[in-house]
Amino acid sequence: MQGSRPFVFPRWTNSLRTLIAAVVIVGVLYAALVVAYGASPQTTDVGYQPEQPVTYSHAKHAGELGIDCRYCHTTVEQAAHAAIPPTQTCMNCHTNITIGNSEKLTPVRESNASGMPIEWVRVHDLPDYVYFNHSAHVRRGVGCASCHGRVDKMELVHQVEPLSMGWCLDCHRRPERHLRPVKEVFNMGYTTANQLVDGRRLKELYNINPSTDCSTCHR
Amino acid sequence: MPPVSGPATGKTYWRSLDELADTPEFRKFVESEFPNFAPELLASPSRRRFLKLMGASLAMAGLTGCRWPKETIAPHGSRPEGRTPGESVQYATAMELGGSAVGLLITSYDGRPIKVEGNPGHPISRGATNAFAQASVLELYDPDRSKGVMQRQGDQTFYRSWDQFAAYARRHFDALRADGGKRLCVLSESSSSPSLADMRERFGRAFPAAKWWEYEPISRDNERLGSVRAFGQAWRTHYALDRADVIVSLDADLLMDHPAAIGHARDWAVGRDVDEQGQRRGTERAMNRLYVVESAHSVTGSMADHRLAVASRRVEAVALHLASCLIERGVAVPSVGNALSRSSRPVEADFVEALAEDLLAHRGRCVVAVGPRQGAAVHALAHALNAALGAVGTTVSYTEEIEPDRPTHAEAITTLSTDMRDGEVDTLLILGGNPVFDAPADLEFGQGLDAVKTVIHLSLFPNETSQRCTWRLSRAHYLESWGDVRAYDGTISVVQPLIEPLYDGKTPIEVLALVIGDQPAKGYDVVRRTLQASSGGADFDTRWRRALHDGIVPGSAWPTAEPPLKRGGWAAELAERVRGGTAEAGQVELVFTPDSHVYDGRFANSGWLQEMPDPLTKLTWDNAAIIAPVDAERMGLRRGDMVRLEAAGQTLEMPVTVLPGQAEGSVTVSLGYGRTAAGRVGNGTGFDAYRLRTVAAMEVVTGVTLTSTGRRTMLAVTQDHHAIDSRVGRRERDKRLGMLYREADLEEYRRHPDFAQHAVHHLPLVSMWREHEYEGHRWGMTVDLNKCTGCSACVVACQAENNIAVVGKEEVDRGREMHWIRIDRYFRGQPGAPQVAHQPVACHHCANAPCEQVCPVAATVHSSEGLNDMVYNRCIGTRYCANNCPYKVRRFNWFNNHKDLTETEKMAFNPEVTVRARGVMEKCTFCVQRINAVKIDAKNEARPIADGEITPACAQACPTQAIVFGELNDAESRVARLQADRRAYAMLGELNVKPRTQYLAKLRNPAQPEVALPGLPKATHTEQTDTEHS
Repeated sequence: MQGSRPFVFPRWTNSLRTLIAAVVIVGVLYAALVVAYGASPQTTDVGYQPEQPVTYSHAKHAGELGIDCRYCHTTVEQAAHAAIPPTQTCMNCHTNITIGNSEKLTPVRESNASGMPIEWVRVHDLPDYVYFNHSAHVRRGVGCASCHGRVDKMELVHQVEPLSMGWCLDCHRRPERHLRPVKEVFNMGYTTANQLVDGRRLKELYNINPSTDCSTCHR
Repeated sequence: MPPVSGPATGKTYWRSLDELADTPEFRKFVESEFPNFAPELLASPSRRRFLKLMGASLAMAGLTGCRWPKETIAPHGSRPEGRTPGESVQYATAMELGGSAVGLLITSYDGRPIKVEGNPGHPISRGATNAFAQASVLELYDPDRSKGVMQRQGDQTFYRSWDQFAAYARRHFDALRADGGKRLCVLSESSSSPSLADMRERFGRAFPAAKWWEYEPISRDNERLGSVRAFGQAWRTHYALDRADVIVSLDADLLMDHPAAIGHARDWAVGRDVDEQGQRRGTERAMNRLYVVESAHSVTGSMADHRLAVASRRVEAVALHLASCLIERGVAVPSVGNALSRSSRPVEADFVEALAEDLLAHRGRCVVAVGPRQGAAVHALAHALNAALGAVGTTVSYTEEIEPDRPTHAEAITTLSTDMRDGEVDTLLILGGNPVFDAPADLEFGQGLDAVKTVIHLSLFPNETSQRCTWRLSRAHYLESWGDVRAYDGTISVVQPLIEPLYDGKTPIEVLALVIGDQPAKGYDVVRRTLQASSGGADFDTRWRRALHDGIVPGSAWPTAEPPLKRGGWAAELAERVRGGTAEAGQVELVFTPDSHVYDGRFANSGWLQEMPDPLTKLTWDNAAIIAPVDAERMGLRRGDMVRLEAAGQTLEMPVTVLPGQAEGSVTVSLGYGRTAAGRVGNGTGFDAYRLRTVAAMEVVTGVTLTSTGRRTMLAVTQDHHAIDSRVGRRERDKRLGMLYREADLEEYRRHPDFAQHAVHHLPLVSMWREHEYEGHRWGMTVDLNKCTGCSACVVACQAENNIAVVGKEEVDRGREMHWIRIDRYFRGQPGAPQVAHQPVACHHCANAPCEQVCPVAATVHSSEGLNDMVYNRCIGTRYCANNCPYKVRRFNWFNNHKDLTETEKMAFNPEVTVRARGVMEKCTFCVQRINAVKIDAKNEARPIADGEITPACAQACPTQAIVFGELNDAESRVARLQADRRAYAMLGELNVKPRTQYLAKLRNPAQPEVALPGLPKATHTEQTDTEHS
């Protein structure tokens, strides 16, 4: 007898509809917010431009004077780190060149006299669980500017690219979009008419097969 | 999934006596689904704490999420030549232990030493290390180390500077010069340092009447005395085990507890590296055969082809019987001759007769070695036997001892104690060591020390001795020091510092220079001066730099000689003692051994060593009285029962552990535990066996009584942890263990070279998935079970390389130890005379990995090179992977184990490996950081990776080179050739997980015809043993 009666939702379930609708809307909003926040330049630190102890101008040295990146970042072709130069490197020139506002150089001279380091603020800061190796990239046709931007035009260095995992993988999956001849790696102004054609050729030439295994960068 | 069909191999293994007897405890442990799950966080009393913790961590997450931390980079003012920031460099140095050195290469990152490797050019280490050397990095950064200088005045202790001490020392020691230092004594550790010997000579010239004593609690003086008895002069014995076909060890742990143990292990493994004909690879020679006669089950004993467990004091009877058997067979044993009248036939006669036959058949290719706990006469007998068997000159060689005339360590400490007590010592300078803790108990060294006005102690730690001294000077760690040491064969290594002294320490050389006001006073100058004096001449600078680079001074090994045997009365004395020995036959003996964790107590504050399971007992964080299964049964004792040990008027309460293979009537206790001033790690662990040790009985005490106290204590033993075969019942387990660990006798192997492949039969394996394809690299590993001795160097090496946490005794007891590589140890046969099997197990990087298939967040995924990658920052800690891993090699971070580390301790971390946080799974990565480093270098240089260029930490540390890693896609690589060997088998291959690690089956080489051993089953297909012991 009971089985023949049609099932009727009890009255209180009416309020459920609004509740479910509210949950869905809030959920979607929340998800959108999380994605937006995660991808926003504020989170990825794009544009991060901290003050440095010395107002060193890359625009002056690398741009105007045309000093090669490797004059200071000597280890970039051999090691994981493109080491920040020791004070000694500054003094190679600035022992003789003292023109301009010499007050700016005070911390450098102090460091040179005391041997204590100048504490530069790190701009391009990867998480500690990421193991990036400069030598593996610059020796295979990834230009400095591809990740660091036109440092030769920056008065004060700032972060140009998001340095997020998705950004890394973009290039690891399609390296042809960024590859350049190895001898042009340190040329900040390098451009080519047809990047994709050149890139594919170089990928073949250098045998570039970037790995997307987790352990390539995470150990 | 159990295999579908197939007979058991009939070789029955068991892990522990609990398992053999199938006790309720064992079943409870292996049958619980989460043996290491402790619900303390969820229990109701702590629910509030749980909520509080969660709330706190959420608040923290909110705070840190706001902003990236600001990081600074501090470059050098002026970068040293050749230094590349962030790149590791290796420097050669050496570590001394008990007067002998092991040559090492230390990896340094930005000036921080972080990892120890063996020096391939060093004659003893040959590229390998032991657990002690591996753990020395942690010791360097130990925050409990002695700091600076402290002076005690009355009840108060004051910080002083080295300058203040120097000023004091000048005044104090200048005053002592008047009478030549008559009331001045020095107590030092045993050292082989030529510079220290030179400083000692200078000290002797400054204070001609002063006395210098040397004391080591773990002494090898019996060897020295034995050679004096045999040759009339002290000679040091060296064994070339690679040239030996029959090796006889009489209570000698050649592969583990010997200054040249690492070299011995390598040489011994040469004779275990066999081809498919059962011959040594590339030669016509047979696999070697190892006989061991001993009381305590040693690492060497666990590798024996024939092992005889007899009480330590019975070993001399066995040795004598062996000599008489050889004489009967026409061997002229010098000095023994008629001294022997064969008295009664000992119980071990069958064994000894067969052994004598085997030795006769291998004259000139055999070794008889005697251990340091045996008396001088037994050593003398071994020298005579080696001469008679033609071993001298081939497998045995001799070099002169340093300081041949020094008193024994026991005599030295006794005389010093007496002098102190008689008030004949006013100033005592103690260079290293910890005599208050480790001197024989009946000397009451501490009380004697109180009678001395001025005691100056140079020590790495503020230990029990330092606390009773007037001046505590902190000693520089060997990684902070300039020095020189000699290896067991005499080769000099220069010890060079890897870092400035962290805690303002000085070396013994520097302190001596300071005390006698000698110039130069810097360690560097002293070492250079010594080396220049010994090998001086032109172009010294080049040779100095070469010695620093290579880690050895070429040609500095002592010349070998063949000293003539001298006739002595030792044989008659030995015969007399053996005859008299029957009187004490029924008595229980107590044998003191060095500890596998703390050695003589000096490493007590090292968490890595404390947590390393002992190779045989699998005990961590403790020592225990080891008793034989029969004795345990008779006395109704189980592991963890507290007993009262009474020996020579001293008593000690400690727990027992029951070890199969321990000789009946013999109790083994390791020294060095029970420290009270070791530091925060070592304090309160274990039980102090030195309290039972007297001058009269430094090695073995007889007439010991053992009474149960009725109490129990917890011992953290890992032997039943991570059992692969839980919940399947006894019979099935017996069957399965024979499939996990495969072995055969050499004869059987010759008949069936592919026996390892036929241990399991199963239906054809079909994969449910599309198989991975590997175009580039495909990494793989082999572990040769025929070489693995279970020494556990790999366990600590892995811990050091991969920033693996120490969890503590309580957590180990819950089965939560974090080691990425564990060594499964199985027994086979009767508990009285078992055979032992060691099997290192780490992640097998299965091609068809069960862990990958169950991870809900893809935190463990397959790489294109066949690695099973673990992505820590994806892991949410479901632990499904660990449950689904058939090898039980995944480890979960139950706590934030690295949270409370001090800044100095963090310096020991390897910067190339992520430090894992709470709630994250981890496991062996095949040392992916090393793989990537080599790959990047090779690609930068546009060259292929050479075979053997990539070595994981475990393989690098392995003394026997049992672990081989390499490229499986290259058929010519070592690992590929080994995996093609007919002994190679995949453990649990029947599960179709396609493991990338393979084992090479173990071979045993019993004498033919089989030597009858009491209790040992015949090696051919025994059915399972049903003995019930607890």
